[in-house]
Amino acid sequence: MLVGPSRLELSELSGRLSYTARDLAQRARRRLTSQQKTQLMVLTPDFTARPVISFQHVWKRYPTGTEALRDVNLVVPEGDFVFLVGPSGAGKSTLVRLLIREEKPTKGKIFVEGVELGRMKRRQLPFYRRKVGLVFQDFKLLPNLTIYENVAFALRVHGQPDAFIRTRVAEALDTVGLSGKELTYPANLSGGEQQRVAIARALVHAPSMIIADEPTGNLDPATAWEIMQLFMRINARGATVVMATHNREIVDLLRRRVVAIDAGQIARDDRSGRYHDDSSKSQIRAQ
Amino acid sequence: MTILRNLRFALNSAWQSFWRNLAVSLAAVVSITLILILAGVNLLVGHAFSQVLDGFRDKVSVMSINVADDTPLTSVYAFQQQLQGDPRVATVRFVTKEEALAEFVRDPNNAVLSQQIQGNPLDAKLEVRVRSLNDVAAIDSMARQWPGVDPTDPTNYQGEFVTRMLQLSQWLGFAGIGLMAILVIVSVVIVMNTIRTAVYHRRKEIEVMKLVGATEWFVRGPFVLEGIMTGVIAAAIALSLLVISYPPAVSRFSADITFIPLTYDPTFISSLARDLLAGGALLGALGSYIGVRRFVRL
Repeated sequence: MLVGPSRLELSELSGRLSYTARDLAQRARRRLTSQQKTQLMVLTPDFTARPVISFQHVWKRYPTGTEALRDVNLVVPEGDFVFLVGPSGAGKSTLVRLLIREEKPTKGKIFVEGVELGRMKRRQLPFYRRKVGLVFQDFKLLPNLTIYENVAFALRVHGQPDAFIRTRVAEALDTVGLSGKELTYPANLSGGEQQRVAIARALVHAPSMIIADEPTGNLDPATAWEIMQLFMRINARGATVVMATHNREIVDLLRRRVVAIDAGQIARDDRSGRYHDDSSKSQIRAQ
Repeated sequence: MTILRNLRFALNSAWQSFWRNLAVSLAAVVSITLILILAGVNLLVGHAFSQVLDGFRDKVSVMSINVADDTPLTSVYAFQQQLQGDPRVATVRFVTKEEALAEFVRDPNNAVLSQQIQGNPLDAKLEVRVRSLNDVAAIDSMARQWPGVDPTDPTNYQGEFVTRMLQLSQWLGFAGIGLMAILVIVSVVIVMNTIRTAVYHRRKEIEVMKLVGATEWFVRGPFVLEGIMTGVIAAAIALSLLVISYPPAVSRFSADITFIPLTYDPTFISSLARDLLAGGALLGALGSYIGVRRFVRL
């Protein structure tokens, strides 16, 4: 049984997506002042850069002895949308943690935009994280800050000026459809709205890459679908999206690239895959 | 500009954090205040002691060389010239027999004795003020070799007393340093634990900060500032208490123990204020830096 939208709705959605992208460009060109134009341009990812994720024979063994990843090879081109699927404990979260350099690989190399993460100095790490937008299952919002301040937080940490923060936060909240909720606190929002705030925070510094770890894990199907629409829109603007998820319906409907991880290895890598391995077609087994 | 904005951010969150954990912050302020009062008292006592010692030093750096009665005046002047040329000597004054007697009689302590004196039993003398106490012994042996010196009672100076005082002041200095070291360690540990509590309260914020790309110093800054704030507030309280109680303590002390010439020294207040405030800030910074170090590593 299908809980998410039907195929018809999906085609409608993709129509709306392209409309949204075109609309944004038109707004930037026609209606806005030149200052706002440049700011909008900055919010859309820089297409001249080529963020490419590349895992080369990556092994990860934790100090406890658990072998979380075994010889993982993975290449994500710029603008790609990748689902990481697999049972709990398969190594999805480890992969995400390696990608944001919370962990270093035991063996092998990880390159992001040509930089090897394992050899990155601790000093440089904050500046790497500023190129990435992160979204988590538990939102990680700060309860004592308003919605506005939660989103602004990412820019304050970078030491950006107030005027810049104001326009950027307004744009980001507009993108996720939460304009007008600036002064509310996270506790007064629904789960879906809280995740939208988290996404706004991940977007506000215009990252070229969004990494999401089970972003719909705590949400009901309808809300999860709304959040997914947001990610699709962000991807349509050019940002690379890597998303670890358990949400079978969404993966099966969107038919994007699916990388299945099992027991620390890549079990399957389909260009337009499903959550479960359906028959034998278009399979690439990891060696 | 970025630095100013970051500083403003750090000040804001340090201030908020201080008030959010008010009980812990106040406990730390009170403890550090007590410690700084102890340190301040230590400094004050040290200063008073050196004041007193300077007074004594002034007195004991004068030695007198007694001149034998039959020494010709030219020989005395020649020796006086020789002493004055010596770099270790500050001043030399020649006191004749008559002047010595007059000085003796003038002293009320000698009232009874001066009644019974017949003639003038006192020697003429050379009063030598030595620049450094350590040189008193050398000048003494030089004087003893001078032929004009009174062989029965060549020189007068409080040599033994001098060395004792020097030793005492040295030991007191060591004790003061030891006490200060203990106080420093205790207060650093107190600040450390206060900041650990603040870190615990804000662990979520720290986590998010790290994930959105805050530098280590950006995360650390607010905590170090909070530590400095704690230290400086404590120092200000300790300082005002000390400044208020310093003059009455001195007057009480000098009323009770008259033979120690202790005086109120207002010039010392500014150096005490500088030491305490800088010390408080430094202790706070050090304690919080150590307290937060482990938790902000990326």
